[in-house]
Amino acid sequence: MNSNAATPDIKSNSGLTETESISNVADVEVNSSHTSSDSSDNTDLTDLSSDELELSAQKVTYSYQFQLKTEAGRLLLILPTESQVPAAEFSWSEICQQLKQRLHAGERWREPQTIMHLVCADRLLDSRQLQELAEILNTHQIQLKSVTAWRRQTAIAAVTNGYSVEQQQPENSLNSAHHISPNPLADTLYLEMTVRSGGDIRHPGTVVIFGDVNPGGMVVANGDILVWGRLRGIAHAGALGNQQCVIMALQMEPTQLRIADAIARAPEKSLLQFFPEVAHMTPQGIRIVRANGFSRSQLSKIYP
Amino acid sequence: MTRIIVVTSGKGGVGKTTVSANLGMALAKIGRQVALVDADFGLRNLDLLLGLENRIVYTAVEVLAKECRLEQALVKDKRQPNLVLLPAAQNRTKDAVSPEQMKLLVSTLAAKYQYVVIDSPAGIEMGFKNAIAPAKEALIVTTPEISAVRDADRVVGLLEAEGVKEIRLIINRIRPAMVKANDMMSVQDVQELLAVPLIGVIPDDERVIVSTNRGEPLVLAENPSLAGAAFENIARRLEGETIEFLDLDAPSDSILAKLRKLLWTKIV
Repeated sequence: MNSNAATPDIKSNSGLTETESISNVADVEVNSSHTSSDSSDNTDLTDLSSDELELSAQKVTYSYQFQLKTEAGRLLLILPTESQVPAAEFSWSEICQQLKQRLHAGERWREPQTIMHLVCADRLLDSRQLQELAEILNTHQIQLKSVTAWRRQTAIAAVTNGYSVEQQQPENSLNSAHHISPNPLADTLYLEMTVRSGGDIRHPGTVVIFGDVNPGGMVVANGDILVWGRLRGIAHAGALGNQQCVIMALQMEPTQLRIADAIARAPEKSLLQFFPEVAHMTPQGIRIVRANGFSRSQLSKIYP
Repeated sequence: MTRIIVVTSGKGGVGKTTVSANLGMALAKIGRQVALVDADFGLRNLDLLLGLENRIVYTAVEVLAKECRLEQALVKDKRQPNLVLLPAAQNRTKDAVSPEQMKLLVSTLAAKYQYVVIDSPAGIEMGFKNAIAPAKEALIVTTPEISAVRDADRVVGLLEAEGVKEIRLIINRIRPAMVKANDMMSVQDVQELLAVPLIGVIPDDERVIVSTNRGEPLVLAENPSLAGAAFENIARRLEGETIEFLDLDAPSDSILAKLRKLLWTKIV
């Protein structure tokens, strides 16, 4: 996949969808039921009516969650920086909740007694929060050993809790990944879990979910989304504007599909048969094809 | 003057969302401009009852974060052009909004709509406080059970303390046969306890479950139901009309009996 195309500036590379969504805006008054016909090149596909709701050609919302990744034999927990999530909107309890779910989803492949390094950067944490974090990690047999903290208070809290502290500022590999620009795409996130109602997986790369995405659940990725299971919630691929991203699912019954700044919803009538399917962008909007009839070469024909 | 009405109960599962959806639809049907506001952040359901889940793009949280305009978040009903829904976020908790923010949202809606109906979450915590903050009137939904009535009583007290003076009562899921057999609290029993003016009595009806699962409010159903009629009557009473309460004591099987009699006479 061409990660360069995931530029944060959507307006510059969204010529096609923009016209698409503008024509939809004009349709707002006309009510539903325009099940647009299959585009000629995708004959055996499930039809998606392009939505009359406007998904703005403006900024695609992208909120940062923490990132978990492995580097140099240890697990890294990278909290969003203050520039990504302002302190007022930062909810520690939500982070804890997500972390519990995320750790649970990766349980099977993790070695016991994994060492973890926490990257707080400019985020302010007190010793009670660090304690809480350590307890969560302990239940998953992960040991918090060290903390990167730029703020004095966080560093002091970490030291009093018995962690070694790295205080140096940027310019090393740890910090470069979560700097202001989210390019290039992050490593693929592989999760073994059911994304339930209210669940919200956001990742600045490709997401693979080995499990279902239930109605009310949402997956937002800067790259592709692969659901090895039933996709019944909302999936948003290429959230930063990359229209070449695709959404795949073994059973495609989404509430909504979004690719870059285009949006589509499933037909009102439910289907009787399901095949592995792929949703991708066409000049007509988001379309679905059967996975076995889909190939990358087909995509390159649309976007030479 | 826009009517800002919160639908609340204290206890969960008594039918707040069902009442909100049907009442909103009934008001829209008689030509009012209605905005339904789902205040149940994290456990939203109103969109499901209206069958609008797959049309939600933005929610109230995004409006408040200024990630979209209010009009973009409003979901127009697919059947009734007079009705819009302001959905709640599903991936947040009740703490995602404050009472001040709810007031701001609702006052913006009030400029354009004649009715703003707020569907409150169960409980009396943050979500409830958010829901009642902008309200000028309240509809208390209760079922004829002591637990629901007790909670409703508590909520009435809280509403009065918050300065919501216009409070009216809806008794939901009443079963006339059980009342007659003295197995269920009667409308009079509930009213006596709560001492709040009654605006509607809705009979227990299996079709409510069907309509919920299909996402089609009962008041839109083609063949009329007693519950649907009760919702429509509440809408008209809100409009100031005086309407007799439905005669629930004539149970629905007597309608069937009448039909049978009618058919019988034709056959004979």
